[in-house]
Amino acid sequence: MRAAIAACLLALAVPPAGAQAPESPRSALPGAEFLPSSYRPLPRQDVIIAGATILDGIGNRHDQSDILLQEGKIAAIGRNLPRPDGVRVIEAAGRWITPGLIDIHSHNGTYMLPIVYENPPTWDVAEVSSPNVAETAIEHAINAQDPAFGLALAGGVTTLQVLPGSVTLFGGRSVVLKTVPGRTMQDIKFPDAAPGLKMACGENPKGNFGSKGQAPTSRQGEVAMMRAAWQNARDYRDRWRRHGRRDADGERGGREPPARDLELETLAGVLDGEIRVHLHCYAADDIAVMLSIAREFDFRIAAIHHAVEAYKVPDLLAAAGTCAAVWPDWWGFKMEAFDGIRENAAFVDAAGACAIMHSDSPFIGQHLTLEAAKAMAAGRRAGLDISRERSIAWVTSNPARALGLDDRIGRLATGFNADVVLWSGDPFSIYSKPDQVYVDGALAYDRNDPERQPVPDLLLGHPAREAVR
Amino acid sequence: MTARLAMRLLPLCLGLACAPTLAETIAIVDAKIYTMTGGAPVENGTIVMRDGRIVDAGANVEVPAGARRIEGRGLVVTPALFNSATQLGLTEVSSVGATNDHGISEAPLGAAFDIQYALNPRSMLIRQAEADGLGRAVSFPTSSGAAPFSGFGALLHLGGGAILERARFAMFADVGGQSSGRAGGSRSAQWQLIRSALDEAQALRIAAKPGTPRDSSFSRLDLMALKPVVEGAVPLVIDANRESDIRQAIALTRDYPIRVVVKGGLEAWRAAGELAAAGVAVILDPSINLPLYFDELGARADNAALLQRAGVLVAFRVNLSIHTTFNAGFALREVAGLAVANGMDHHVALAAITSNPARIWGVADKGGALAPGLDADVVVWDGDPLEPLTGIVAVFLRGREVSQATRQIELRDRYRPRTPAPALPPAYRGTQ
Repeated sequence: MRAAIAACLLALAVPPAGAQAPESPRSALPGAEFLPSSYRPLPRQDVIIAGATILDGIGNRHDQSDILLQEGKIAAIGRNLPRPDGVRVIEAAGRWITPGLIDIHSHNGTYMLPIVYENPPTWDVAEVSSPNVAETAIEHAINAQDPAFGLALAGGVTTLQVLPGSVTLFGGRSVVLKTVPGRTMQDIKFPDAAPGLKMACGENPKGNFGSKGQAPTSRQGEVAMMRAAWQNARDYRDRWRRHGRRDADGERGGREPPARDLELETLAGVLDGEIRVHLHCYAADDIAVMLSIAREFDFRIAAIHHAVEAYKVPDLLAAAGTCAAVWPDWWGFKMEAFDGIRENAAFVDAAGACAIMHSDSPFIGQHLTLEAAKAMAAGRRAGLDISRERSIAWVTSNPARALGLDDRIGRLATGFNADVVLWSGDPFSIYSKPDQVYVDGALAYDRNDPERQPVPDLLLGHPAREAVR
Repeated sequence: MTARLAMRLLPLCLGLACAPTLAETIAIVDAKIYTMTGGAPVENGTIVMRDGRIVDAGANVEVPAGARRIEGRGLVVTPALFNSATQLGLTEVSSVGATNDHGISEAPLGAAFDIQYALNPRSMLIRQAEADGLGRAVSFPTSSGAAPFSGFGALLHLGGGAILERARFAMFADVGGQSSGRAGGSRSAQWQLIRSALDEAQALRIAAKPGTPRDSSFSRLDLMALKPVVEGAVPLVIDANRESDIRQAIALTRDYPIRVVVKGGLEAWRAAGELAAAGVAVILDPSINLPLYFDELGARADNAALLQRAGVLVAFRVNLSIHTTFNAGFALREVAGLAVANGMDHHVALAAITSNPARIWGVADKGGALAPGLDADVVVWDGDPLEPLTGIVAVFLRGREVSQATRQIELRDRYRPRTPAPALPPAYRGTQ
């Protein structure tokens, strides 16, 4: 996957297709990534955090253990690790350590606070001019100065995915960001992360376009438009594949490549497995239909977001290898959320499917472990035996898997990125807070050191924020 | 009881105790009891309830013979929760317009808009809130036909039967950048309208002549509605977040013989001393640490803690998305926990969701605490009520145990994991 993206990046850097014969039909398609990352880790020093309770993100708990962060990676976990010279030691007895949290559903940077709803120029959550805006990419709209990034970091989130909104069937490409401060989106863009495609089903698209007298006006209309788009994407991909084969064979050299279509390019990227589908979908019926459409066109849905009724069809999710990204307690506010229950994530987890807690909110995005705690507590009361070491996966390794980043983040294991949260106590307690947050081994946030608490430009110089004398 | 019958009975309950029939005597023993009457929680305490009232609560309380005895070892007992700003009884599904009755946008009703006649005691949201330990709630109107007034809110007492405890118990108004559009585009107009309405309502008290006063911006109906406000009988609850507006709200208490409560209050910490001195209570969501709007630039996580230190009487609400009403009980204890995480004392945060609202809304002689003679509105928890891992063991409202069989729980039990998988579809499970 990473190699494929690198190849695509290269394809963007050099004159587009046609000049050179691609190695495979897949890479005949132009780039999967639009803007390159200029992320550089913050200055860092190797560190041992010692004597803590460590939840590794994949089901294990290490009591009174140490973790060594070396050159941006996790180098060791164990009891009484040797303490080499030059390594900073942080005594953490009584405190807890988890992987950096991952919020798979954020609108940070596009939903700038303070926002003004009546002032559309401040708002970039979604391009809503058409039900299919797969050619758009939310990374073109991010304001890296959104204060919500810094608050997410202070809440232990080290990686988040910014998704376009849910008004459209095909909402465009998502972007995966780090929560460290940067001057621009590209400064915080997660390197070599596959982009996602935001899709939405159910009430939102038909409610929005239908109320304007435009298609879709119904669920069946939504699905018909989706299937037509996927068929077009197939045809588009086939045209590029044929073009690639001809060039590779050396026949008809110099033949013009097919016209590039950015909308179909995104969908074809999904069919090629290079772009991951993140689908907003609440109801069991809708989830089942969407999983069937994915089978028909032979792609995988990485995660179904806001899957309020996932608990009714966890077997379908497990069979498809699709995660359910959910809230613990949102229900009732619209008909497709009418059946929300607090045990949702726990029941999905118990069925062997992949459960994720997501925020969709800059406030909830500061408290992802509390969201997991509420879902865990409900599951326990329903008779399920759910440990902290298990449920921490809902905000670490499971979202990493849905993002295709589970080879780098979401767990504390040797060789993984040193994205680490040191909590003042049990991360599932409302009274606990991240004391320190490390991103790629660098201390990005320290609750006890104002110099390690980033302040965005937007919050500077406001008398209303100054101390009262 | 049918909903129709319940509605007909509502007026009978106004100002009266709607006593439950034949409630048993219940004793919870050996529990940690937060009486909320001042002082530390009672370890190994006992609480006795009978006929909808608390007989006694504390240490060395005797268990009457024949009482239903509940072992409370390891459990925590508090008064039922009290949410100071919801739309309970006024909404069922936010996106389904016909189920929403919390606001209007057209005249003729302005300050006179009164939500009491819309209240639906059979709302599934109320069942859920009761199961989550909520005993009382304020339901407030979101808008009227004559801004900045929104109209009369209602005080609800949950726990079966009629829910309306007091109608017309508080007048609500909205001030600030988010609502000024309805007053012409400036918050100054909002304050002028409030002041001139109060002036005219005072004059109305003196003149008391029928017919609309000449040159009035307000209908006689609306001015009549404001009479109890200028007589000091009903508080004026002003939704405001910016410091300048909070100070304007305080100024009203100097210029008029009225009681003011500030709702919103995200910059209240900036006027904490003045709020305390003026006796203006603040209803706030302590979890909001990020300005949603420019009026809230000063939002900070320790707002509640700073207000506590200045001696301001504080009660909590939840102002985050659907939680305001759909999780009126469940989310309330979470935001109280976040207040503690950000510097407020635990017992004060607990008071902000129990005894403080009872004081602010004038029912401290009925509930909000566990003391002899008060309503037997009691929650038994399996741990610290402010922790998300803590669950509810039992809820008693008006002395009767509340059903936990909410719609959510019925769905849960229908779809709970089972091995082997049942042969029949879920629709055959848990049917009544």
